[in-house]
Amino acid sequence: MKPTYMRFIRPLIAILVIYLVLLIGPIASLDFPNIYASIKANPVQLIQFLIIGLANGAIVAIIALGYTMVYGIIELINFAHGDVYMIGVFTALTTLSLTGSLTTTDPGHIAIGIFVALLVAIAFTAALNAAIERLAYRRLRNAPRLAPLISAIGMSFIVENIGLIWAAQSWLVPSFGTTGGGAQKEFPDLLSRIFVSLGWDPNLLASTGWGLRFTVKDLLVIVLAGVLMIGLRLFIQNTRLGKAMRATAQNRDAAKMLGIDIDRVITATFLIGGGLAGAAGLMAGLYNNNAWWFMGFRAGLQSFTAAVLGGIGNITGAMLGGFLIGLLAAFSDGYLNARWTNMWVFATLVLILLFRPTGLLGEQVGQKA
Amino acid sequence: MKPELKSALITGMLGGLVVFLFGGWSVSVLGILIGIVIGLSNGSRYNRNDGFIRIFKQALPNALWTALIFIAVSLLENYVVAPAAGKRPSPFGIMLAANLVGTLGLVLFASVVTALHGLTPRWERIGKIILLAVMVVVFPFIDEWTGLRWTSNVIFALIFVILGLGLNIVVGFAGLLDLGYAAFFAIGAYTTGILSSPQHDIYLNFWLVIWLAAGMAAIWGLILGAPTLPLRGDYLAIVTLGFGEIIPVIFKNLIDVTIKEPLTCWVIPGIQSLFGATSNLKCIVLAEHLDLTAGERGIKPIGRPSLPIIGDFQSDNPIPWFFLIIGIILLSVFLIRRMHDSRLGRAWMAIREDELAAAQMGIDPVRTKLAAFSMGATFSGFAGAFYAAYIAGIFPSVFDFSASIIILCVVVLGGLGNINGVIVGGLIIMTADRLFLPALKDLLTGLMRTTILPGLEAWPGVQDAVAQNANPILYRFLLFGLTLVIMMAIRPEGLLPSAEVRAELHAAEEQAGPIENGSGPASDSAAGGKA
Repeated sequence: MKPTYMRFIRPLIAILVIYLVLLIGPIASLDFPNIYASIKANPVQLIQFLIIGLANGAIVAIIALGYTMVYGIIELINFAHGDVYMIGVFTALTTLSLTGSLTTTDPGHIAIGIFVALLVAIAFTAALNAAIERLAYRRLRNAPRLAPLISAIGMSFIVENIGLIWAAQSWLVPSFGTTGGGAQKEFPDLLSRIFVSLGWDPNLLASTGWGLRFTVKDLLVIVLAGVLMIGLRLFIQNTRLGKAMRATAQNRDAAKMLGIDIDRVITATFLIGGGLAGAAGLMAGLYNNNAWWFMGFRAGLQSFTAAVLGGIGNITGAMLGGFLIGLLAAFSDGYLNARWTNMWVFATLVLILLFRPTGLLGEQVGQKA
Repeated sequence: MKPELKSALITGMLGGLVVFLFGGWSVSVLGILIGIVIGLSNGSRYNRNDGFIRIFKQALPNALWTALIFIAVSLLENYVVAPAAGKRPSPFGIMLAANLVGTLGLVLFASVVTALHGLTPRWERIGKIILLAVMVVVFPFIDEWTGLRWTSNVIFALIFVILGLGLNIVVGFAGLLDLGYAAFFAIGAYTTGILSSPQHDIYLNFWLVIWLAAGMAAIWGLILGAPTLPLRGDYLAIVTLGFGEIIPVIFKNLIDVTIKEPLTCWVIPGIQSLFGATSNLKCIVLAEHLDLTAGERGIKPIGRPSLPIIGDFQSDNPIPWFFLIIGIILLSVFLIRRMHDSRLGRAWMAIREDELAAAQMGIDPVRTKLAAFSMGATFSGFAGAFYAAYIAGIFPSVFDFSASIIILCVVVLGGLGNINGVIVGGLIIMTADRLFLPALKDLLTGLMRTTILPGLEAWPGVQDAVAQNANPILYRFLLFGLTLVIMMAIRPEGLLPSAEVRAELHAAEEQAGPIENGSGPASDSAAGGKA
């Protein structure tokens, strides 16, 4: 029998926590009066952040799919995945540069360039991801948990360094004034260039008068992400390989006994995850217009959080989580301060892991970690 | 080839690489050093019953062969590479003297230290300890005398040795993969910075601050460790990674801290204004526009330690710093050894092997893991305090994710769970990073400028590309990443695995039978929890 005063402990703790958030929050820009004031001053901004959040969330969701698929099958956090996405951005930038799409004004040329860049980025990152699995993870598949994890971190460092060297090659990555491999590179804003030269207004919703911008870029990113997600979903649900993947994720040994080639399934998973990361790389480059060798770390942390938020191993969950994290990041950038965004994303991760480790849609997979 | 000759030659070639980079007097220092290393690693290959003299005689030829490598490399460096790289070769007299000292030192130390194995185990141990102690004491003076100027970089390596020792408690002993260990390093350094600098006009004595820093790091170890306790394996890794990412961000951004008490400032006035009343409450302001950490400008200058006879430690004289950090390392090694053998240490290892079974045996996992986190953090607090005082200025970018990974590299390379291994790993990784890579860069730059680039005049594109990419510093992360991946693939137990790990390895070999997928007993023995 609990003593009576125990009934008041939980509410007391809750009040204390709320008080502490109010007291210390403003240091990390979580200043409610300020936020209230800025929402009141410009309510349309809220919709603007919603749009930005959805578009960035779509990119995060696409990357998160790679995390969640790999985790579902071999229960490994592929630390290098965020960096594979970064390589995707650079592959796209290099392809666009080599096809001459960065300097031309011909919309057809740019459109074809973007399409080629999408294919090249997908192919390259898919191959890279599969190669990472082959080199760093396969031989450690039956080793204790720590070994592949450390190997994955090492791979992440290696891929980051490849990005750094890549960014330093002026004949691969046009510098637009910034020099050195360490600097953030500009990824030209090609999409609005196409639509301007076709005579269309790239701002679909600029006429609202409140400064709301809903551009072709936002629309394209969200649509492309939707297509990829639906495609993946259909693939996993209906094809033979997709079924084999689900079977392997459920029980690797049983799947093996039923004649599924585990190595092939795992390679396919890494190929698909890597390809999605490459597509996300092109989308992010076109949408956010920059390329940086270290961008994979941030993106990786955000998308891993998204995967955990949705329930790791769960594909629909990763998509949901991606959009939520994108929104969180956009609102934090907008109403708090971009400096603290990572901290809030990460705080979300800790809170989910503590209070609902299976995520929003997760099954019991989360408990295996 | 006999294994003892092979091992001596391999060690000699590694030493030869360093001589190749530095030339000049480095051959003497490296000769003595490599001699001792060969002696330490080869001793157990000989039969103890042969006695000192006979082992000495057996070991002598191996040492002589290795010394030949040194002479060859040294001459090659001085008369072929140095002119090609545009460096001025050392005069013949210095070369002769340096080579004489180096070769004699190598042969003598290699044979004598090997021969120590012929004594009784007790005397062998005492002999080795005396030898190591003499070497450590003499090193900075020789370094200064020969003008190599390695000591200040070796001090950095030793800072990372302490960090590695601390992380080894968390990862090696308790099997908790901590990817944000640099956060505690940052906390130790910033505690020192804030408490002994003009930033807040607080000037506490270093000898007090170092304990405060360690204590602060330990407390934060508890605070950051607590939320990760329910998590296992990869989730723990990613959460600690997040902490490691967040803490430097916090230090970077605490430059304009304003804390207003919320109740008096806007909750009660807000409620009052809802009812149309005007508030007469006075807003309590705890801090306004307080610059706590100076952001990216960094806190500087930070107070230096001082001792009665030496006076203040100066930045241009690394010798007192060297002995201070050696002292901290000795203290840390002593404490960690005691911890390792204590009830707590055994509990850590039990948790590492099987948390569930350990809990069933009456070990409290929560307490044990928290102790690992806070004990591990304590040592990085020491390291942080020393670092802050030594550099006399701290900047948030030093403590980012890559620092955590470098410390992890130190532990993984040396051998998870083994104190000596971590010391060796730290020395290898950090001297490679701070001494050999820059030296290689200088050498390459020299070679480029005087020999290679003029030869490529005909192809300007190639010339540009070569000039741009021939910078080994650019491949730093690649080397760290490769260290982790290759170690995990080939030798997950590290260079010097601990005795338990080695024993487990053999037990696994007997049981394992056919090995699937190329993984096997070697990787089973890595000190990983069966999460």
